[in-house]
Amino acid sequence: MKKSVSLLLVLIMVFAVGSNLVLAQTDEVTITVWCWDPAFNIYAMEEAAKIYKEIAPNVKINIVETPWDDVQTKLTTAVMAGQTGTLPDILLMQDNALTKNVTNFPGTFVDLTDSGIDFTQFADFKVAHTTVDGRNYAVPFDNGAAINALRLDILEEAGYTLDDFKDITWTEYIEMGKDILAKTGKPLLTNVADSPDQIMAMLQSAGVWMFDEDGDVFIAENDVLKEIVEIYVEMVKSGVLVQVNDWEQYISTINRGTAAGTINGCWIIGSIVGQADQKGLWGITNIPRLERAANASNYSNQGGSSWVVLSSSKQADVAIDFLAHTFAGSVELYETILPSSGALATYLPAGDSDVYNEPHEFFAGQRVYADITDFASKVPQISYGVYNYEARDAVGTAIAQILAGADMNSALQEAEETVKFLMGP
Amino acid sequence: MKRKLFKGLKYLVLLVTSLLSLFPLLWMFVSATNTSVDILTGRLLPGSHLAENFRNLLAKADVGRALWNSLRNASVATIASLVVCSIAGYGFEVYHDKGKDFLMRILLLSMMIPFAAIMIPLFMMFGRADLLSTTTAFVLPTVSTAFLIFLFRQSARYFPKDIIEAARIEGMGELGIFFKMYVPIMRSTYATAAIITFMGAWNSYLWPLIIMQEPESITMPLLISNLIAGYVTDYGALMLAVAISVLPTIVIFLALQQNFAEGIISSMK
Amino acid sequence: MERVLKLRRRQNIIGWGFVLPASLMIFIFYFYPIARAFVLSFQTGVGVNLKYAGLFNYQRLLADNLFKKSLGNVFIFLIIQVPIMLLLALVLASLLNDKNLRFRGFFRTAIFLPCATSLVSYAIIFRSMFALDGFVNAVLTNLSLISRPINWIGQPWTARIVVVIALTWRWTGYNMIFYLAGLQNIEPSIYEAAFIDGASGFDQFFRITIPMLKPIILLTTIMSTNGTLQLFDETMNLTNGGPANATLSVSQYIYRLSFQYSPRFGYAAAISFVIFALVAVLAFIQMRVGDTR
Repeated sequence: MKKSVSLLLVLIMVFAVGSNLVLAQTDEVTITVWCWDPAFNIYAMEEAAKIYKEIAPNVKINIVETPWDDVQTKLTTAVMAGQTGTLPDILLMQDNALTKNVTNFPGTFVDLTDSGIDFTQFADFKVAHTTVDGRNYAVPFDNGAAINALRLDILEEAGYTLDDFKDITWTEYIEMGKDILAKTGKPLLTNVADSPDQIMAMLQSAGVWMFDEDGDVFIAENDVLKEIVEIYVEMVKSGVLVQVNDWEQYISTINRGTAAGTINGCWIIGSIVGQADQKGLWGITNIPRLERAANASNYSNQGGSSWVVLSSSKQADVAIDFLAHTFAGSVELYETILPSSGALATYLPAGDSDVYNEPHEFFAGQRVYADITDFASKVPQISYGVYNYEARDAVGTAIAQILAGADMNSALQEAEETVKFLMGP
Repeated sequence: MKRKLFKGLKYLVLLVTSLLSLFPLLWMFVSATNTSVDILTGRLLPGSHLAENFRNLLAKADVGRALWNSLRNASVATIASLVVCSIAGYGFEVYHDKGKDFLMRILLLSMMIPFAAIMIPLFMMFGRADLLSTTTAFVLPTVSTAFLIFLFRQSARYFPKDIIEAARIEGMGELGIFFKMYVPIMRSTYATAAIITFMGAWNSYLWPLIIMQEPESITMPLLISNLIAGYVTDYGALMLAVAISVLPTIVIFLALQQNFAEGIISSMK
Repeated sequence: MERVLKLRRRQNIIGWGFVLPASLMIFIFYFYPIARAFVLSFQTGVGVNLKYAGLFNYQRLLADNLFKKSLGNVFIFLIIQVPIMLLLALVLASLLNDKNLRFRGFFRTAIFLPCATSLVSYAIIFRSMFALDGFVNAVLTNLSLISRPINWIGQPWTARIVVVIALTWRWTGYNMIFYLAGLQNIEPSIYEAAFIDGASGFDQFFRITIPMLKPIILLTTIMSTNGTLQLFDETMNLTNGGPANATLSVSQYIYRLSFQYSPRFGYAAAISFVIFALVAVLAFIQMRVGDTR
């Protein structure tokens, strides 16, 4: 009896899927996608559409350019208003916000775990960012593996090479930084004041986050975080790290050559190569590691986003099929988009491609893409959690207070209480 | 002697204020002719990359469509607002009594409502009425604003009441008095209101963002925010886009500012 | 007598006809949605998972340090910035109201234009002008007013000063044009008579300009109070609420609670309501003082 029921179910499913496929082959289907950045994500999506056109000529991909902040606003508004019909079939989501949205808006996104997409083909850390309670909710896309980009000419002036910065600790980094500052007058590092990005990347490099395994706040007693704060404060006090007011000034320190290097997600390469005069003067290596932290590594991640499918989509199956054949199945796609956009994949099979092993002229012939792909495979896995943004802001505030002279422990205690309050009933 | 000194001081104050006011605007126009790297490295002189920035901008965004949408939405919103609110403002002052004064105070409360608080209910209203992505949806919630009504009410105080009485004795209807006497005399107020309303509608961001669903209905502010959303921003193209987006407001201000020189008194002569 | 009464009634009906269309629209597009939001403010929870909890959100407010901090910040801006800006706008308007002034159109346009300048470009230039190696520090150092550069945006009070300067820079011209429009409606003969009586420019400003402009001053005061308590653009773009929340505004906090953090719309609605009530009280006081016929 039981068997026949399940057989019947299987038959119904086969029939349903089969009829859908028939439908997909005959009718015009439009898949709407929200994403941002014409030079990067939108370009990748357009190329994916071209590839899928060969497989399913009746499917049209309609891309609506929408910046991330606006994607979040429109998503929240539509879900809260109960009007999910206004949402697209696919949208690009910041990994930082993924757990938050999936948890707070249950049923809004398609669970892709059993969709046939092979998630083992993606970098482990990226899959961890897109997994909520053991279920996969997104097809991973761009790579945010952290790099330490350095000006070779400034290093040389102070008597150092790129190799001196490979596999080092932050203490070694600061020592060389002080020396370079004394000899060339240039700081090794700059970043945007009040932005916690650097702190976050340092946390992830040790496989630690601001929440523990149960999802409780882990700030005031977090020894790894304390080690990071000490390093950060020493870098600012010694002048090895100069804080600027905003993103424009940060890019300016890179383009003007007022700093000897920068540490960020690998996508920062796009801004570095903008200054054509500096061709051949840059090199990249992995980032420094912590000393006291138990699982310290020289690898981390900063930024990145992934594709989610909306449950409200009337053609979710087509949308999944599209992603499966492109971002989760086409080395050709990644080979096409890399040279002109620098869009590095987290899709591992693409890393073996020749395109990824090409030397890069701007980086003095270094095979930067191969290096970054290697870094990405070693990034520690963490989950950002539902209250990620609350914690980022609170820790950012604590850092500003500590730099202004506040006691570290009490500032972190205050940050912990702020996050607890925001998480409260 | 003292008067001369005062006069010199007056010009000095106005000149310094004007230059301080214009500096960021000039910087914006100058930046529109420079490359991204030039802008970030602090170049203050005009460059030769205007054409290149223009090409890059057009490759990234449909500027023509966004300009047209913004222009159409803002014009419709401005005209509708001016008509609806000036009639009401005039009504609140000329026919004022306890009831209308009270209503005016209630209406003023609407100015104090943060938009974020009513965004979702408004979105639901327009979604149910099947009006998403329409000019109607863009314009309707902003047509009547307590601020404009209040502005016209306050200005109507300067409107000499004996003119109204005289016109009534001559047998002119109430609407006739409004359109034939009040509107032409209140040109400076209308000019102010038109500039402010146009600018508000032109720059509005949050409401068009959620109400406009189709890529074809993109407006200038949305286009500009698209330009700064990526990993790498082309500041040359961005500055050109913001410069273009500021031009219509400047043109309208220049066209209407003559009216500031002619208030009630000069109009009546 | 009866005819006069009949006429009065007729005019009264016409008067309602004048004010009702606009009033109805405000009720539909502002008061109905805010009533919905008011109901929401009694619900608590995250995302779509909301339940009724009476006054809980309002109690929660009392323990919320970020809310208190942001409310304090906007009041600092209100007390310092609004009077400076409105006085400056009045002075500039009365300077520009001189028929014999040369380059009047140029001055008027130049002073108005900041509020038309795109927020994107002016945020970039303001932040770079107030950078450690920026224009402002260079000028102050050259004038020997300071011995070492000030980290303007990196310290709480200097960051607040930058926001005040930015707000004043952007909105003075905006307020000025309301005064200019108002000044056009004052009979020039009043000034001429005062001039003959030997009143100084100073006297004219305080004895004629300000009293005559009272209705418009009331309008701009209410508008600026409201604008400051709902401040968003400047702090979001110039300082992003920093350093250490020293410039965080209430609207920015509401925005974070709604769209950046795990969304708590019930709680955000409660905060909106408190702000709404505060501005309403301030506006009613201002109306009491200023709205006399």
